[in-house]
Amino acid sequence: MSWFARIRNVVLPNRLSDDLDRELSFHIAERIDDLVAHGMTPDAARREARRQFGNYALQKESTRDRDVFRWLETLLADLRYALRTLRAAPAFAIVAILSLALGIGANAAIFSLINAVMLKSLPVRQPEELMVVLRDSSKTATNPIWEYVRDHQDVFSGTLAYGQTQFNLANGGQVRNVDANWVSGAYFSTLGVRAILGRTLLPADDTRGCPAVAAISSSFWQTEYGGSGAVIGRTVSLDGHPFQIVGVIDPAFFGLDVGSHAQIYTPLCAKTIMNGNDKWIDARSTWYLHIVGRRKAGVTPAQASARLQLLMPGLVEATLPPKWPADAVARYQKAHMEVASVATGFSDLRTTFRKALFVLMTVVGIVLLIACANVANLLLARATKRQHEIAVRLALGARPARLIRQLLTESVLLAFMGAAVGIFFAIWGSRLLVRLMSTSGNAVALDLSLDLPVLAFTAAVAMATGILFGLAPAWRACRVAPHNAMKSQARGVADGHSRFSMGKALVVVQIALSLLLVVGAVLLLGSWRRLATVNPGFRSDHVLLLAADWRSGNESASPEQRSSLRRQMLERLRAVPGVRMASASELTPISGSGWNNDIKADGYTPAVRDDGLVWMNEVSDGYFSTMGTALVAGRDFNATDVPGAARVAIVNEALAQKVFGAHSAIGKHIQVANGNDFDPPIEIVGVVGNAKYESMRETPQPIAYISMAQDDDPGLSVNFEIRTVGPTTAIIPGIKAAVAQIAPRASLDFTTLDRQVAESLRLPRTLATLAGFFGVLALLLATIGLYGIMSYTVARRRNEIGVRIALGATQGRVIHMVMSEVGRIVGVGVIIGTLLTLSVTRLVSAFLYGVKPSDPATIVLSAATLAIVAIVAAMLPAWRAARLDPVTALREN
Amino acid sequence: MPKNKNDILQGTLALLVLKAIAAQGRMHGYAITAHIQRVSADLLRVEEGSLYPALHRMAQDGWLRAEWGVTEKNRQARFYSITAAGRRQLELEEESWARLRDGVQRVLRYA
Repeated sequence: MSWFARIRNVVLPNRLSDDLDRELSFHIAERIDDLVAHGMTPDAARREARRQFGNYALQKESTRDRDVFRWLETLLADLRYALRTLRAAPAFAIVAILSLALGIGANAAIFSLINAVMLKSLPVRQPEELMVVLRDSSKTATNPIWEYVRDHQDVFSGTLAYGQTQFNLANGGQVRNVDANWVSGAYFSTLGVRAILGRTLLPADDTRGCPAVAAISSSFWQTEYGGSGAVIGRTVSLDGHPFQIVGVIDPAFFGLDVGSHAQIYTPLCAKTIMNGNDKWIDARSTWYLHIVGRRKAGVTPAQASARLQLLMPGLVEATLPPKWPADAVARYQKAHMEVASVATGFSDLRTTFRKALFVLMTVVGIVLLIACANVANLLLARATKRQHEIAVRLALGARPARLIRQLLTESVLLAFMGAAVGIFFAIWGSRLLVRLMSTSGNAVALDLSLDLPVLAFTAAVAMATGILFGLAPAWRACRVAPHNAMKSQARGVADGHSRFSMGKALVVVQIALSLLLVVGAVLLLGSWRRLATVNPGFRSDHVLLLAADWRSGNESASPEQRSSLRRQMLERLRAVPGVRMASASELTPISGSGWNNDIKADGYTPAVRDDGLVWMNEVSDGYFSTMGTALVAGRDFNATDVPGAARVAIVNEALAQKVFGAHSAIGKHIQVANGNDFDPPIEIVGVVGNAKYESMRETPQPIAYISMAQDDDPGLSVNFEIRTVGPTTAIIPGIKAAVAQIAPRASLDFTTLDRQVAESLRLPRTLATLAGFFGVLALLLATIGLYGIMSYTVARRRNEIGVRIALGATQGRVIHMVMSEVGRIVGVGVIIGTLLTLSVTRLVSAFLYGVKPSDPATIVLSAATLAIVAIVAAMLPAWRAARLDPVTALREN
Repeated sequence: MPKNKNDILQGTLALLVLKAIAAQGRMHGYAITAHIQRVSADLLRVEEGSLYPALHRMAQDGWLRAEWGVTEKNRQARFYSITAAGRRQLELEEESWARLRDGVQRVLRYA
């Protein structure tokens, strides 16, 4: 009977019962026909047939029992037996279960991350109906586009728009940011998300001139208000504006962005309150919204896309951004509208971490394979010990298939015990991973609760593992000829050569796989070290970064007042004791923010569009000396660069080289694009060394620095770089006091340049750490495997070695004999591993920096490390063999 | 209930069933009982109560293959046919039967 039929019998007993009924009633019908043919009346024939058949129900029961219970009973018996044998060898059981737990746990941990980031559906009503509106594959839209789509579409039963933001909870002083969402009025009703206290935001909350109201997340309610019922109606300060709390949202809901947890939801119209004007609401070039619709029943995504496309002419007219270059306008008019499923939500993590998670999944898969090989080896060794028992059972007529089944039950049981422990490793490990991926300013929040897919995955891995490592030993055990095995209680002299070829093959596989992981680890660790130590073109030590925002209380300041406020602030900071130098800038390097623009220069025409695109920054005087960036030619900004004077800029060497080639850039002019036009020319007065702008990985990018003192429309927030004499944190109180003298209500956000750089390297750091950890683990497991197999071989060959020593073999000769075998195993493993490595490491090339995936030095170094560790581990059994006392060894027989 | 004299000796049912199916090819349960009864000239009668559990056990052990089919009288019936494993088993059973028969005969003759 097939496995399918067996399982069906257990799961669907009725079906079986029907089958049996049919089979047995057929039998009775045939009997009746026979009896009638022999001259009986049909009635009598029926009675007779029944009588002959005996107790029908009992018959049926006993036949059915054969099918279902025999199978279950065997399974239970096998499980009982397996548990008993494991209890009899606790050391073996613990080692096997722990190594499997590590392997399976690591797999479950990475899978639960993949599940949380990529696979889980949003916790909303019928997430599969949710569609994002895409315009030329772009997910972001302006508020005018949203309003037009909302008012004119006919394919969605509900629509919503939202934008991600952060609000500062603190009212002046140290900044406390929380993740928040701007949401349209129908956001919650379209998603089908409820409030657990008060109400959600409603369409009535999202109208022009709306009052300042907010809904808060359940976790925010717990941490900020202790879960108090009196929270409704209280106000919360967001970026210095009071918002009234109207409700607490369902704890299962975290917003539509997987990886972040929105704590506060405010209506889109409240942007007016924050900005003091309607500019953002009507801005046609402010792209910050995602538009999502709930597909009407019966409307396919293709139909929805086609209907939305029909809106284009009207939409273009109502939303075309002003002052756009002609080609951009043409692209805007021809844009292609479509919808795509967002059942799993939006996520930046997906793009950032997809490859990394894939690499990690491969790594933990390999670790599990190595662990499997170890357990398989342990089982092989045990199977040899149990050979006598198995031989007796075979001789008594047990079918090999039955024995294999029983041995497999044992290994699958081991795997499931490993998985049960592994789940705990997984829970702990996946949370640790999320912490490693988070930065202080950007916490990653993921729902990592154990759900069905994770449990099913773990169970499937356990099942597959159990069969994988159990099959070889089980197969091996049942292929021995019973009479040989029973005889072998009296060990033959040269016994054990071929018997362990399978064990040795497993160790070869382990060495090959661990070489792969060691090479990967060396590559990734090297890349991270290079990234962390590369000269970024600035000196990141002893630099305190301060993002100051003094909008609050200065809303009506004139540009001159704002400019002078900045200057005064900078002068105060420079006077604080412990400050060596200070400067101000629009952006700080490696901050995740960037600003680029097209430029035009004397005698330079970009070869292609975008070729004139350069990174920009606006900086004060002293910026380069504070950051430790060398001034190569010309001068820094100084007190003569004032608003009325000739406009000046400083460029880096990459820009000077690209635009002016061999000619000196000093005295040349550049013009910065502004819509279709270019701003008036700016004179280059200095050239500075190249410095990293956006990431530590980038090659030198062209950067233009313009003068902050000449800004016509200075903002009310700015970054300060403060180079300190002593520890950076020590001067924070002094800085706070200095700022408070000028802008008492300013919000201040401190970090250090060192930390900013380190946080930009969190992905390579996490990958390198994990690769290093798993590389060492793999090396350890392979070494244990080699040690185990050599100890076993030596133990099995005691007699032979004893005879050799008795016949005059020296200790050196015996060591040589054992070690040459080790050499063969390691050699073959390293060769296979190298070939494997060459074909696989390309996978990590995206994460490498300054090294090729097939770097020969790395491979040689890793192979040598592995060989040395392996040989050292094998020295012990070799030495033991050499020290063997021939008399004792031979007497044992 | 006194034992019927043509009851089948414990352990030989499998032999008989396998032999019948090996000789006849595909058969349903009723045909098996009829065949054994006919070939043994009514000396042997297969009890339904033993036959069906035995058939299911043999199917589980992989000696027989079972499938639903239609008889000449257009009735649905479960047909059994022998597998390669079943043929090997049949050989073993025939051998052990021969040994048993010889043994019993010797005992009867010389004891």
